[in-house]
Amino acid sequence: MMHEHHPLVGREIAIRKAMPLIVRVAADTARFSLRIDPAEIEKASKAFGLNLPAKIGETAISGEKRAICLGPDEWYLTAPLAEQEAVEQAFADLYATAVHSLVDIGHREVGIEIEGSDAVLALQSALAFDIEAMPVGSGCRTIFDKAQIVLLREAENRFRIEVWRSFADHVWGLLQAAGREIELDI
Amino acid sequence: MTSYRIPGKGRIDRSKPVRFAFNGDNYHGYQGDTLASALLANGVHLVGRSFKYHRPRGILSAGSEEPNALVGTSRGPGRFEPNTRATVLEVFDGLSTTSQNHWPSLKRDIGAINDALYMLFSAGFYYKTFMWPKSFWNKVYEPFIRGAAGLGKSPTEPDPDTYASRFAHCDVLVVGAGPAGLAAALEAGRIGARVILCDEQAEPGGSLLSETDAGIDGLSGWEWLNTAMAELATLPNATVLTRTTAIGYYHQNFIGLCQRLTDHLASPPQGAPRERMWKVRAKQVVLAQGSIEKPLVFDGNDRPGVMLAGAARSYLNRFGVKVGNRPAVVTSHDSAWLAAFDLAEAGVKVAAIVDIRPEVAGHLKQRAAALGIEVLAGWTVTGTSGRLRVASARVNPVSRGGVVGPARTIACDALLMSGGWTPSVHLFSHTKGKLDWNEDGQMFLPGDHAEASRCVGAGNGSFGLAAALAEGAAAGVGAAVDAGFKAKAGIYKVGNEVPLTGVSNRELPTDRNASRAKAFVDFQNDVTAKDIRLAVREGFKSIEHIKRYTTTGMATDQGKTSNINGLAIASDAVKRPAPAVGLTTFRPPYTPTTFGAFAGYNRGELFEVTRKTPIDGWAEENGAVYEPVSLWRRAWYFPQPGEDMHAAVARECKAVRETLGMFDASTLGKIEIVGPDAAEFLNRMYTNPWLKLGVGRCRYGVLLGEDGFIRDDGVIGRLTPDRFHVTTTTGGAARVLAMMEDYLQTEWPDLKVRLTSTTEQWAVIALQGPNARKLLEPLVEGIDLSEEAFPHMSVAEGRICGVPTRLFRMSFTGERGYEVNVPARYGRAVWEKLHGAGQQLGITPYGTETMHVLRAEKGYIIVGQDTDGTLTPDDAALGWAIGKAKPDFVGKRSLSRPDMLKEDRKQLVGLLTSDPDTVLEEGAQIVLDPNQTLPMKMVGHVTSSYWSPALGRSIALAVVEGGRAREGETVHIPMPGRTLAASITGTVFYDPDNKRLSA
Repeated sequence: MMHEHHPLVGREIAIRKAMPLIVRVAADTARFSLRIDPAEIEKASKAFGLNLPAKIGETAISGEKRAICLGPDEWYLTAPLAEQEAVEQAFADLYATAVHSLVDIGHREVGIEIEGSDAVLALQSALAFDIEAMPVGSGCRTIFDKAQIVLLREAENRFRIEVWRSFADHVWGLLQAAGREIELDI
Repeated sequence: MTSYRIPGKGRIDRSKPVRFAFNGDNYHGYQGDTLASALLANGVHLVGRSFKYHRPRGILSAGSEEPNALVGTSRGPGRFEPNTRATVLEVFDGLSTTSQNHWPSLKRDIGAINDALYMLFSAGFYYKTFMWPKSFWNKVYEPFIRGAAGLGKSPTEPDPDTYASRFAHCDVLVVGAGPAGLAAALEAGRIGARVILCDEQAEPGGSLLSETDAGIDGLSGWEWLNTAMAELATLPNATVLTRTTAIGYYHQNFIGLCQRLTDHLASPPQGAPRERMWKVRAKQVVLAQGSIEKPLVFDGNDRPGVMLAGAARSYLNRFGVKVGNRPAVVTSHDSAWLAAFDLAEAGVKVAAIVDIRPEVAGHLKQRAAALGIEVLAGWTVTGTSGRLRVASARVNPVSRGGVVGPARTIACDALLMSGGWTPSVHLFSHTKGKLDWNEDGQMFLPGDHAEASRCVGAGNGSFGLAAALAEGAAAGVGAAVDAGFKAKAGIYKVGNEVPLTGVSNRELPTDRNASRAKAFVDFQNDVTAKDIRLAVREGFKSIEHIKRYTTTGMATDQGKTSNINGLAIASDAVKRPAPAVGLTTFRPPYTPTTFGAFAGYNRGELFEVTRKTPIDGWAEENGAVYEPVSLWRRAWYFPQPGEDMHAAVARECKAVRETLGMFDASTLGKIEIVGPDAAEFLNRMYTNPWLKLGVGRCRYGVLLGEDGFIRDDGVIGRLTPDRFHVTTTTGGAARVLAMMEDYLQTEWPDLKVRLTSTTEQWAVIALQGPNARKLLEPLVEGIDLSEEAFPHMSVAEGRICGVPTRLFRMSFTGERGYEVNVPARYGRAVWEKLHGAGQQLGITPYGTETMHVLRAEKGYIIVGQDTDGTLTPDDAALGWAIGKAKPDFVGKRSLSRPDMLKEDRKQLVGLLTSDPDTVLEEGAQIVLDPNQTLPMKMVGHVTSSYWSPALGRSIALAVVEGGRAREGETVHIPMPGRTLAASITGTVFYDPDNKRLSA
C-alpha cells in the first residue's frame, strides 16, 4: 500500500497546565457528501445504517458512523475506513429506487480535534458565531477566519473541525496563535 | 528635582517604583502612573510642541481626550510608536519616550517661528498662502509643507509585534466602568445575563478614581468600587475588560473593542500579542462613556501648566501628584471649585479661584473662605505669561454690562480651568442615533436610539453620582429584561453629594484686541477662536464647512475637547442657534487605533491562506521555485544547479516534447456532477453538446456568462451515464461551482442533479510526452491503455501503484498525455513512485512556466490570461466548441447580438516577431501604423509571450481587432525607445495537425 501524507501529520497543540487545550489531528475516516431529496430520508438512513437527522445542524451517531445534516438535502457522512466500500455499494444499490449523489470526500478533508476547558475560547479567535450557545451534538458549516469548515460540538468541551486539506495549515496556525494566548493566560 | 508627589495620596503602587526616560532624561515614577502623572510628579509640564505654530505645550487632561501631550514611545527595535497620549500611556521600567514636533530641541525649536508668523497661518492658509508664484509650488511650498506636515514621525521598521482577535457574544455590553456603568453591569450580571464590561483605563472606576469624598451605601467611593469589582469577579457570566477601548459601534449591535494586552509591561511574555480586537455582538448595549471637561477659551490658554481642573483633581487623588505649588483656578462651573478644595486640603496653596459667573453658590464661597482661598467672582482671564510654563494669569473684573475692567496679575505655576462638561456621545453617534440639543446645559444629549442601546450617567447628561448610579442600575435591568431576563433594579444611597452647576461660554471677554488673541479652541490642530470667526466672515456657515476650512476637530482627537467650544463660537458668529449650526459627525475609531489591532492574526504566514497541493512538499525538497496562483502556491519551475529560469524551462520543455514530463495539476478545480439529469445540466451550462458524450469519454468544455463572454474552461469526463467529473481552471473553481449552484437552485430546480466539490479529493499528476504510456502501462491495473481502448480524450477508473485512480487521457501540451487522479493522501507517494519508475525514460518534473510555454506553442488559451472577460468563444478561436444545434446554453442569446458578430471584434491571433530573438512583453499594446501621430490608435494587446524551445524562436498570442482577417499582415508594438514589428499568424505554432497527441 502506498504511504499516505497528511498535511498536519504528527502535530499537536497542547497547553499542559491544567489541560485547558489540546488540539490534535483526528484519525482517518471515510467521508461522503450525500445529497438526496429529504422525502427519501428513510431509504437513505437504511442504506447508511443510521437514522439521518432531519433538521439542519443536527447530528446522529450510531457506532462509528456519523451523519450531520448540513442543508435541506445535504448530509455529511463519516464511517470507519473499513466500511467505505460497503457504504458505496449500499448507496449504489439505492440509486435505482432513490436517485441521489454520494461523493467520496474522504481525502478532501482533514479532521482536527479541539478539546479542553478553553476549547471555546480558542475557537472564538476565528469563529464569528456564538459558540457558547452551540448545542452539544450539533454541527454546521461555517467560516474559520478565511477557511470554510464543518464544525461539530461533540461534548461540552470537545469540538471537531473538518476542513479542506489545503486550508488545514491556516486553521492550525490560528489555533496555535490562540493556544499561545491561552498558555500565557493573556 | 523636586517631587510633586504628595505622601499618602493616590492609588499608585509605591512599593513598585519604575524608571523611565523622557527626551533622554531619566525619571522615577510608580506602577499605576501614566506618563503624564509621572512627568507632573517630577515637575515636568512642557511635553511637546504644537502642530502648526510649534508652541510649547503641556498636559491638558488626564484621559484619552488629550490633544496636547503626544509623545513618541519606543519599546525596543521596531517598536517605535508616534503620537501616544501621555495621559493614557502607563509607565513601566525602561520605558523610553520622546517629545514631538520640534527641532533641534523641545526647549529651543526653530519651527516656533511659525508662532510669530501666525498671521500667515490663519484659517484656510493652505488655500491662500501658497497660491503664487505658481512656479514655487513644486520646489518650495510643497516640499516645505510635506516636511512640516505630519504629527510625530512614522515608524520606519516593520512592526515585530503580533496581534490577536476574538469574537464574543453577550446579552449586555456595558461601555465604561464608572459608577453608571458599574451599576448597570452589576444589575445585569446579578440577573444572570452574560455581561461584558469594558473600560479604556487601566483600572475600572471612572470618575470615582478621581475623587475621595463620594459615598455610596455607607462606603467611601473607593470601598464601594472594590466591593463592586469583587462581586463582578464572582459572577461567571460577567467579563471585565480593562485597558479596552470601545472603538466603534457598528450595525446590529456589533461593537469593536481594542484591548491593550502588553503595552504596560516592562517585559511582555515571549510571543504574547500586543493588542486584541474584540468583535462583540451584544443583544443590548449600555453606553456609560462619561463626559469630557471643556477648556475655557482665552488668550494663552495653551501654555504648559494651563490644564483642565478635573484633570488636576485626578492627578491629585488618583496619582498623588500636585500639578503645581501655587495653582490658580479659572472656571464657569462648580466642579473646578472641588479641585481647588482638594488641592488646598492636601496642603497646596491655591492662588485664587476666578469664576466667570458673578453669582456662585454660598456653600462654595464659604468653603473657599475656610480654606483661605481668594475668590474673584464675575472676573475673566485675559492672558497668561511664562515662556515654557505658565508663571502668571492676567485677570480682569467684568461689570454687569460686560465692560472689562483693569487687569490684575496673579502669580501661579498652574492654571486650572473648567468650562463645564460635555457628555461623550461618540459611540451613540456612530449608530446614527439622533442627538438632541439641551439648551439649559448647552450640550447635545442622546435622543432616539438607532440600535438596541441605552445611554447612562454623565454621557447622558446625568452628572450627579446618585443620578448616574440610578440610571445605570435601571439600564442594566432594562437591558437584561430586553435580552430576555426578569428582574428589577436595586437602589443606591449616595452621601456627600452636592449639586454642581455651571454656565457655558464662548471665548472669554477681554480688554485687549480679540483679533490678536491666541485663544485656542482646538489645541491639537492649533485652531483659535478668531480662526473660526474669520471662517464665518469669509462666508462659511455650516459647521461641516467651518470644520474643514479651519481644521477644527479634524485632528486625531476628533475634537473631543474642542467641538462644543468651536460650535458655541461659530453659532455666535453666524448668529444662529447651536443646533441649527450643527455638530460634526463622530466616526470610528473613538481613539486612534493601531493597524495591527485591525489586522489581528492576519499577518506573516497567517496573512492569507496559502494553499499547498499534496505534492508541494516534494517540490519544495526538490528545489522548486514557486509562483502564487489564486490562493495556491504552485511550482513554477525546477532549476537544476547552475540553471536560471530560462535554462530550466527550456530543459523542461524539451523533456516533454522528446520523452516525458510530469506536472502537479492538483490545483485544477474539480466538481462531481451526479444525477439522472447530469448530462442535461452540463448541456445547459456549457457551450458544447454533452448529451451524446459516451461513458469513458472526455470533452473540452467552454463556460460563458449570461453576457456570452468566456468565464471558464476545462475537460469534463463521463464516468457513468449519471456521473461526470468536471475540471475547471485553478482560479475559477469556487466561482464555477457557485455559478452552477446558482443556476441549479434558481433556474432549474427541477433537474435531478447534485454538485460536489472534489478539488481536494484528488491529487492530479499530469504525465506528458511520447513515453507517457510506456511509464504507465506496468503500473496501472484494470485499464486497457491501448490506443484503441483508451484513445485521446478518454477517462477510466482503475488502480495505479495499488491505489484507486481516475485516469484521464488528455493533453495540455500537444503531446500524448495522461492525468493521473489519485485520492489526495496518496498523491505524493504515487508521484514519487512515478518519478522513480520514470528515471530510465528521463522523466522530468516541470512547473507552471513550462506548462504555459507548451500550451502556447499549441495555441491553447488560458482563461484570464488570453481572455479578459470580453472575449466570446469565436473571438478566442473557439467557435468550434459551440454546439450549434443546441436549443440553449448560458450565454447563447447574447452571442447573437449584433455587437458580438462585428467583423472588427478583438480576436485571438498568433504573433511572430520579425526578430525571432525578441520576446514581446505581455500586455504590450499593438498598433497598425507606427508612424501615426500620438496618441496612436491601439488595436489590441499581447496576452501571452514566450521563448519557444521547440520552435527556437519567440512566439506570442495577442488579441487584435479583426485579427483573423489580418493573418500575414505586419503589426507594430511600440515600446520605450523602439518599436517592434510582428506578423499575424494562426494561434497554433507547433504540430498543427495534432499528430503528436497519439504519437
